[in-house]
Amino acid sequence: MAKPLRDLHDVELAALSAAGGRREFGELVRRHSPAVRGLLRRMGAQPALADDVAQDAFLLAFEKCAEFRGEGTFGAWIKRIAARLYLKRRSKDARYVAEIENDEVAPHVDSAGRMDLDEAMKGLTEPERLCVSLCHGAGLSHPEIAAAINLPLGTVKSHVKRGLDKLRARLQPEPVAHGSASHVG
Amino acid sequence: MSVDEFDPAIERLFARAPSFADSAQFEAGVAAKLSKTSRFRTVALSVAGLVGGVIAVREVLNVDFNFASSSVSASAGSQPVTQGLTMAGVDGGMAVQSLLDRLGVTGLDMSSMGGMQLFWATAGVLVALLAAGVVKLSQEI
Repeated sequence: MAKPLRDLHDVELAALSAAGGRREFGELVRRHSPAVRGLLRRMGAQPALADDVAQDAFLLAFEKCAEFRGEGTFGAWIKRIAARLYLKRRSKDARYVAEIENDEVAPHVDSAGRMDLDEAMKGLTEPERLCVSLCHGAGLSHPEIAAAINLPLGTVKSHVKRGLDKLRARLQPEPVAHGSASHVG
Repeated sequence: MSVDEFDPAIERLFARAPSFADSAQFEAGVAAKLSKTSRFRTVALSVAGLVGGVIAVREVLNVDFNFASSSVSASAGSQPVTQGLTMAGVDGGMAVQSLLDRLGVTGLDMSSMGGMQLFWATAGVLVALLAAGVVKLSQEI
């Protein structure tokens, strides 16, 4: 008897998808779409655009499923596809940059004064946000990011470092009077 | 990433996927787009196969007619290439006739125009079946 889809490993599901299995691919979409959608939003995409790009990324992944050999995780593979698709779309249409720049909303903090990652990311400049999310979200190396967004390697490193410094500062809870210890995550 | 940039807490935060209330809707959207792409590919391949098959059969029938019409001039020795093709066509026809005889279908005379047309029409149907097979295969891959 065939194993239920939820019991199959990503590599098995990808192999079955490569043979045309849409139900199997649907399971992969179910497992990984939140991470992909989240990554694209963290990169600065508006929700509608992020979902559009995420759907295109999954369609492309379905076409290329045979190329996924399981060297890395399926999640990392699909996130890379999505990140590159978003960068392509972004470079085609400069208005997305304008949308990102206008994306200033009041940050949401919890009762302990902590901000969640998505809120904290909004405090980064657009290049910092892109570089940090590509590095830590999509798993691209600094040289890969430099090539993808056409920036010098040193500049990418600076953006990542500055972005992370800002994130650390924002993700730390505000100092409180009684000095209680706290930690992120 | 350099060592000083690695921050386990931030790594953990990035690794945590947010939850979306409209996940089911998103998944349905991907499935719908996949079906749409597949339908489009099926239609495109079917139309291309049909058009290609019709053109191929028509061209083959034209060549057959040309053989018949050019056989007169070929017999005058003015067109050796056409004569060669005519001979090849006749040989092919004889081979098919012999195959049909072996299969017990002796009533079908391949040397007549009606028999040849039936043969090419059958070939056309086979081409169409092949095209349908390719379409089916493309859906599975």
